[in-house]
Amino acid sequence: MLNTEDRNWITNLRIKWISFYLIGMVSIALATALVLSFICVYPLHYSPWLFAIIFPVVLGILLYIKPIWRTTDQDITRFLNNRYPELEESADLLLQNEAELSLLQQLQRSKIENIIPKLAQPKEPLKKLYAGLLILLAGLLISFAITQIPLRDNDSLKDREKANQIQPIKENIPAEISDFSAIVIPPPYTGKAERNQKQFTITAETGAQIDWKIETNIGIKKLSLIFNNTEIIPLKALNKAHTRWTVSKTISKSGFYQLDLDGKKSDLYQIEAIPDLAVTIKIIQPKQHTTIDIGQPQKINLKVLLTDDYGINDAFISATMASGKGEGVSFTEKKLSFDTNFGSRKTIALAKLIDLKNLGMKPGDELYFFIKAMDNHGQSSRSDVYFVSIVDTTELMSLAGMTNGVNLVPEYFRSERQIIIDTEKLLKEQSSIPVQTFKNKSNEIGIDQKLLRLRYGQFLGEENETEIGGDHDDHDGHTEHKAEGEKFGDVTSIMDKYAHKHDIAEDATFFEPEIKAQLKAVLTEMWNAELRLRTYKPQEALPYEYKALRLLKDLQQKSRAYVAKTTVKTAALKPEKRLSGELDKITQPVQKMTFEQKEKRIATLKIALARLESRKIGRKFTEQDQFLLNQTGKYLIGAAADHPATYLTALSSLRKLSTGNKLIINDIDLVQRAIQKMIGPEGAKPQMQNAGAASALYQSYFKNLNKTD
Amino acid sequence: MEFKYIAILTGLCLLAFLLYKETHRFNKARLIWRILANIIAVSCFVLLIVPIRYKTSRPQNTDEVILITQGTHPDSTTNLKGKKYALSSANPKNTNVITIPDLPYFLKSNPNIRKLKLYGYGLNKAELAQLKGYRVSFHPAANPTGIIAANWPGKLKTTEVWQVQGTYQNSGMEPVKLLFKGLGKTVDSIEIGAKSSQPFSFKTTPKHTGKAVYELVSLQKTDTLAKEPVPMQVGDETPMKVLIMASFPDFEYKFLKNWLYQNQYPVAFRSQISKNKYAFDFLNLDSLNLTRINSSSLKKFDILIIDEEELAAISPDERSSIALAVKNGLGLLIRVANLKSSTTLGSRFSRFESPALKGKLLNLKLTEDNSKLTALPIEQGLFLKPEYTDKPLIVDASGKTLVNSNIDGYGKVLASTLSSTFHWLLSGKKNDYAAYWSALLASAARKRNNVLTVDIFPQFPAINQKMKIIADLAASGQVPILKIDSILLSPRQNMVLPFQWDAFYWPQKPGWTYLEVNQNVEPIYIYKKTDWQVLKNQQKLDETHQFIKNLNTTETKSKVADVVLEEKVSIWWFFIGFLLAAVFLWYEARILAG
Repeated sequence: MLNTEDRNWITNLRIKWISFYLIGMVSIALATALVLSFICVYPLHYSPWLFAIIFPVVLGILLYIKPIWRTTDQDITRFLNNRYPELEESADLLLQNEAELSLLQQLQRSKIENIIPKLAQPKEPLKKLYAGLLILLAGLLISFAITQIPLRDNDSLKDREKANQIQPIKENIPAEISDFSAIVIPPPYTGKAERNQKQFTITAETGAQIDWKIETNIGIKKLSLIFNNTEIIPLKALNKAHTRWTVSKTISKSGFYQLDLDGKKSDLYQIEAIPDLAVTIKIIQPKQHTTIDIGQPQKINLKVLLTDDYGINDAFISATMASGKGEGVSFTEKKLSFDTNFGSRKTIALAKLIDLKNLGMKPGDELYFFIKAMDNHGQSSRSDVYFVSIVDTTELMSLAGMTNGVNLVPEYFRSERQIIIDTEKLLKEQSSIPVQTFKNKSNEIGIDQKLLRLRYGQFLGEENETEIGGDHDDHDGHTEHKAEGEKFGDVTSIMDKYAHKHDIAEDATFFEPEIKAQLKAVLTEMWNAELRLRTYKPQEALPYEYKALRLLKDLQQKSRAYVAKTTVKTAALKPEKRLSGELDKITQPVQKMTFEQKEKRIATLKIALARLESRKIGRKFTEQDQFLLNQTGKYLIGAAADHPATYLTALSSLRKLSTGNKLIINDIDLVQRAIQKMIGPEGAKPQMQNAGAASALYQSYFKNLNKTD
Repeated sequence: MEFKYIAILTGLCLLAFLLYKETHRFNKARLIWRILANIIAVSCFVLLIVPIRYKTSRPQNTDEVILITQGTHPDSTTNLKGKKYALSSANPKNTNVITIPDLPYFLKSNPNIRKLKLYGYGLNKAELAQLKGYRVSFHPAANPTGIIAANWPGKLKTTEVWQVQGTYQNSGMEPVKLLFKGLGKTVDSIEIGAKSSQPFSFKTTPKHTGKAVYELVSLQKTDTLAKEPVPMQVGDETPMKVLIMASFPDFEYKFLKNWLYQNQYPVAFRSQISKNKYAFDFLNLDSLNLTRINSSSLKKFDILIIDEEELAAISPDERSSIALAVKNGLGLLIRVANLKSSTTLGSRFSRFESPALKGKLLNLKLTEDNSKLTALPIEQGLFLKPEYTDKPLIVDASGKTLVNSNIDGYGKVLASTLSSTFHWLLSGKKNDYAAYWSALLASAARKRNNVLTVDIFPQFPAINQKMKIIADLAASGQVPILKIDSILLSPRQNMVLPFQWDAFYWPQKPGWTYLEVNQNVEPIYIYKKTDWQVLKNQQKLDETHQFIKNLNTTETKSKVADVVLEEKVSIWWFFIGFLLAAVFLWYEARILAG
């Protein structure tokens, strides 16, 4: 008997051990799952059902790590042996069949049989339990803290919203309603918490769900909401007494609604939907048109600023490359991504270095790109198209433009091109020639560049200190002047003799300002090139030379007009035959139309305005006026459905006016203002002037005005 | 005379005798006093017998009356002497003033009154006319604070701009805000500084159709000083009929045609397609034969728009019928494209060319109200040279005329060198296009003859006050039936103008009332007595001042010489002097000497 008692003791211990351990494990799993799911639900806005998944998963993991249910009696005896030295490492004897034991074993067994019941219950399972419960408590505390953190955030958000909101509008609530609330649940993409309000006027994000809970003090058969005077939504009664009602609706656009309590209609309440705006894209760098000259790095640094009202999900660059010329143009499209995590942030500053060479762009190619961004509601927006072009140097060097058209000043262009060719040649030879020769040659090219610059300077009326080029002509002029200058009293020739002429005013006005500006730019580039050449840096001078050449090419193109040659021969006209054809069979076309005013809206509103004005003096509305007000009301409903904030109060005032007999000037004013806003600004219309009634006399006076002469 | 000298001589003798006696008296005490007393006694005695007379000139002493009118400050009259009368309108507070119900009756019943002292704002013209021949002096009250002048057109057509103008006089020490309110909102406002008088001008486009009463509200901080009603009415008129004749259809005509069509104007459009072959468009209009223009077909239209080529191309009799129709009131708008005119009608406008500025926008201005239009992207080279008899309608930024007008008979002729105003429509500037063409068409179109025009005097007819109704009728000859508040009035024909009739009426109710003239109904606004009070007071002040000014100039001639009076100094003074001197002498002899 004793034997079984001991066995039971051990089994009990095992059960206790397992159960305590399990409870502890479940608590740990619970705590972990709680913390995890709270993190997911609160800041990340996942569904609370997530908990149902996390908890079993965590528990499963824990049980897999420590399969506690597999604990056997042997495990327990081993533990007991370790724990209690009194058992003298023989607790397992108790589990063995008595018959199979040796004598010594039997002796030992009977010895410990007496000891076991006297042993104190081991504290380990209890410790495990306590540890588990402690972890659970900690988990609860942490999850509570998690709920608190975003709540505080929400609070500040609410504060801001409150600040944005105009102070609560005073509402007329039907007497039957004892209590009500409207819960606004913003759509998930806004990341806003739901809010409860005790006001019928609703401001909610587009797509938000509104739950109305209305309690009435008496039982009502039917309670419904009427939206925009058209859509009727009945409320559901929650109890048998028909005093608690609820309904929910998703708001997609602004409008207004009213309550209908057994046919008794309440005031009108406004619903304002705040739409979600698409991402605004601001490209800070580069400029809309960028040209990359030779020598400049073929890279563009793109800087973009994106802003959205709720969060940005994605953005990428859509780039199109155009290569080739004329009919051989080919386009390749590429989608470049920003390597960033957007994470629904509201503003993101992005930067990307686009390597044009990597994109496969050659000189002469153009890159068009725009940026497309999506917000977390799935709305996309795109920026303007930006252009980047790489200058083609071969194009500049070609003589195509020279050979087939007017050539204004050919030698100048050749010179700039010559300078480039010289520079490139010099650079090629650099390694093979002595330094001094290199320097001399560079300097010489620099002098050439200077001469060219000075000649262009003349076009702008700049002072030409050395009289390069023009020098010769000038001399001719002077000698001629001298020959003629003997004429007596020729003041200009005498003045020419002594005066040193600087700018020639006529030259200065020779070109249009636009061309002049470009000429100036050419000179600047030439000057930069000359500077580099003279300081023996031909490599650096090359980009400036190219730029100068490109600008010159542009100039050349601008001053040219093409007229396509046509070879059309027309028959000679016979003037005597003109307009002498037979026209008797030709019928005269007659068109007749009458403009149908589709809408009498404006006319009705105008009359209603005057009618309201006369109501102010005290004239009561007649039946006809009621009809007019009804019509006006219809138009006003339409306007209020679109812009409840502006027209809703006017609509309720109009209803008050048409039903009530009391004269309320304020209401009339309100309606009049709304009607005037609805009519909007009007353009002038030609109107005939009026003449006095008895105009026969005046008419004859005017008719006789011209008879004097 | 004799007696006077005898008395004086005897007096002197007596004095000499008395002085001798005094000097030879034994008791020499108080001699000087006694001598003095003797002299006084004798001279007083003589003067008792011969009293002193002197002459004074006094103004004519006629019966004078103080007349208190409205606006008199109560304190300013309490210290005045004389009989005080007050007109019932003055609303006198103090009881020692006699109220006069009717001034002419009062003056007639008191014929001895020749002089009036007027206090307050004075009297109106009718009352002043009764005061001819009286001597009137005027002690005006301080200038009233409020609107002292105001005017506005009482009738308006749809989309026309309404202008309310006037002057506000602020005599107070604090600035006043003047608000112009109507149809439930404040249209405009102006602030008038302390102690100043300022003109104001408010503009608005009333949006209603029918009658309305706007208000001019003057505010001082939050106190409302006055609320003056400004009644007006907006009416829809039948639109003008437009005939367009084009030598060839172009965009300008096309857009104009469509714009008129959409605004529901009846338009007939004729454009030549070949010799004597035309294409016709009749928009909002029944079709009629316009292959050949004659005066009867032109009578159906109010304005003719034609380009100069077409005007030159039509037959001479068509041209002459157009010229005749213009003299009878038809409006004519000629589109000019060439420097030289090819017709007589076109040659009324001289033109000149000015090199167009390349790439510059054409800025246009309406001369009517100096309003600017959005710049047009066209290069204009042709301009008109206005004569002194012309009225330019559209000018560019430098003042060169683009649209000119002059009068031909009863009608008006306009010439325009602008050829592409449709750019406004293309660029979405609908209002500019509308403003331009409204100005042109309105000033050119035939004037519509009213069946009836009604004038009301005074400017602000008030209840229980006499109102004069002057009606001009198109058909003269028959006595019109004038009815107001369903009371039949008896009109009187003007002696010179046979079509003008007038009648008098005393309105009973404030607000809108209807005057029926034959079958036509004309709304009239009757003001309350308190409306526009300041303006009326100021008018009274001005009229009374004017009356006094005229009176003074006539009075100087008939100024009556003052009456010279002889007055005598009362003998009691001398008696007292004699008595005192005699008492002294007696007292000195009996008591002091004794």
